Amino acid sequence: MSNDVMIAASELSKVYGTFRALDKVSFEVRRGEVVGFLGPNGAGKSTTMRILTCFLAPSAGTAKLNGLDIFDSSLEVRQNLGYLPQRAPLYTELSVFEYLRFAASLRQLDRSTFMKRAKTVVEVCGLAQVLGKEIRQLSHGYRQRVGLAQALIHDPPILILDEPTSDLDPNEKAEFLDYLKQIGRDRTVLLSTHNLSEVESACGRAIIVSRGRVVADGMLGELRGRSGKVRYTLTIEDPKGALRASDVSEALAAVSGVATVEQKPSQGKSMTFEVSGADDSDLRPQISQLVLQKGWMLLELRRDSQTLEDVFRALTVGDARRNRKLGAPSAEDDDEDEDDEEDDDDTAAPAARA
Amino acid sequence: MSAIMTTETNTDLLEAPDSTHTSVPAPATPSRALTKPSFFANVVTIAGREVRSYFDSLTAYVVIGITLLAVGGWMFAGDASFWKTDRATMVRMFEMLPWMITGIVAPGVTMRSIAEEKRSGTLELLITLPVRDSEVILGKYIGAMSLVLVLLVGSLLYPVAMFVWPWKLGVLDWGPVWSGYLGALLLSFASVSVGLFFSSITENQIVAFFITSFSLVGLTALGWAVESIPGWGGDVLAFVSFLTRFQPFARGQIDIRAVVYFLSIAIIFLVASFRSLESRKWS
Repeated sequence: MSNDVMIAASELSKVYGTFRALDKVSFEVRRGEVVGFLGPNGAGKSTTMRILTCFLAPSAGTAKLNGLDIFDSSLEVRQNLGYLPQRAPLYTELSVFEYLRFAASLRQLDRSTFMKRAKTVVEVCGLAQVLGKEIRQLSHGYRQRVGLAQALIHDPPILILDEPTSDLDPNEKAEFLDYLKQIGRDRTVLLSTHNLSEVESACGRAIIVSRGRVVADGMLGELRGRSGKVRYTLTIEDPKGALRASDVSEALAAVSGVATVEQKPSQGKSMTFEVSGADDSDLRPQISQLVLQKGWMLLELRRDSQTLEDVFRALTVGDARRNRKLGAPSAEDDDEDEDDEEDDDDTAAPAARA
Repeated sequence: MSAIMTTETNTDLLEAPDSTHTSVPAPATPSRALTKPSFFANVVTIAGREVRSYFDSLTAYVVIGITLLAVGGWMFAGDASFWKTDRATMVRMFEMLPWMITGIVAPGVTMRSIAEEKRSGTLELLITLPVRDSEVILGKYIGAMSLVLVLLVGSLLYPVAMFVWPWKLGVLDWGPVWSGYLGALLLSFASVSVGLFFSSITENQIVAFFITSFSLVGLTALGWAVESIPGWGGDVLAFVSFLTRFQPFARGQIDIRAVVYFLSIAIIFLVASFRSLESRKWS
């Protein structure tokens, strides 16, 4: 059913001067989905979210939320969504309760609805203890909770959250992600983050953007299996203590089917290596044979399919490399886009980060 | 008589920016079957929060305090003070008031309005609530004007204390006082609107304060040059200057051209602020 598509971005582009912040970003999010929106800093996550929430207008393209166009029905779009901007900017002179009442009254909630909803969100966001406090007295974690509370106050069908967990402690994060999963069943949640483990625990699907483009969009399992590469973790110990890491690396690299070998930090006499295979055939027999042959003591041999982090890094590695470089982008980076040398929403010069 | 006029004109003025505003086409949001009727409720909510934050920070107290002190000082100290001239008149107050409104009050109450919200990012959260940009501008304008009203009402303490209770220093002709207040109100409408505009084009409230203060005091001070410049040059200055527009009110004359002039300035800069807020989308 087409009206199940709650967020539909079609070919969104945003150009700042000569800098192309977004380049034909298209994706869809359906009802009942919690989607992770991933990408390095400056990839265009916040810009996309600001367009979807009608704070910015795209230079080209358009988007529909719950079937409403962001240009034609900007007010209705905003009635349908709850939004938490990055770093939860709130009026710090208001108390938590006053802030919620302010948001609710701009959302036209009447008093009894507001009290009912306020009770729920205060419970969900754990704000009961600070309800009467001024927001400026609160820690960042609490401010973020208040930001969440105002996004939830009207029980919106669509939630757009820009790094909602960045200031939460691990317990709060886990709690919050649980809650997201719960409400995500009959709502639509788009959640940006750099924290991949969060995506793994809360989202069914991820959209990865890099340099203003969608570079991957799919279910997590699908994304993980993308490159077909497999990694092995090998931990060995030499009883005699005379083993050199470089010898082991060489021996491992010589095994047919091995693409790269990398030594990992290890403790005591044991050494840990990460081996990646060139294809998805199983290399464990060859590796264990090698270990036996050499007389090393095997502590661990594990086969991992690729993690989301690998996919993320593989897809966005150009960004990181480019950020460290001052000169013109080289051919291997990206030769078609000379204009996106400045790569951040804030148009910070690459030099600033180098 | 003039008292009645004041109140009548007041309500007209308060509605004027509103009605003009709705006639401004908003290209990004064609008004297609909006489900939300309460334009004014949102304006009041935004204005209310604005006023709340004035009294929470020192802004309100500082602006009101400095202005009342300056007006009092000008009236009661110096060679031409109330005591020396020995006449039952509030003219001295209305000599000082325009300078305070343009130099301190309007810049002071508007400097944070939009600039600070842009800097701290709260604007993003405000605008992504279902509010129209025009509601934001008007709410902030009315919030700022409310504070100016508090100030003007506060300054009424002077004539009341001097001529009604507890002292009776003479028989005051209240006509020029009310028309003076009407002039001060009109001047505030224009000044606050200009201040709001300058606050909307910067992220720095200090910058907003000084640009507003310089340009408004500049516009007022043009009135000094009027007599020394003959011919059309002087006419132009007299046309533009806040001071020459304001002075007749302090003498008890209500000049319709001045009313139109101040309201036009107010409306032009409200529309400009609206455009400036809207421009965030496209830049």
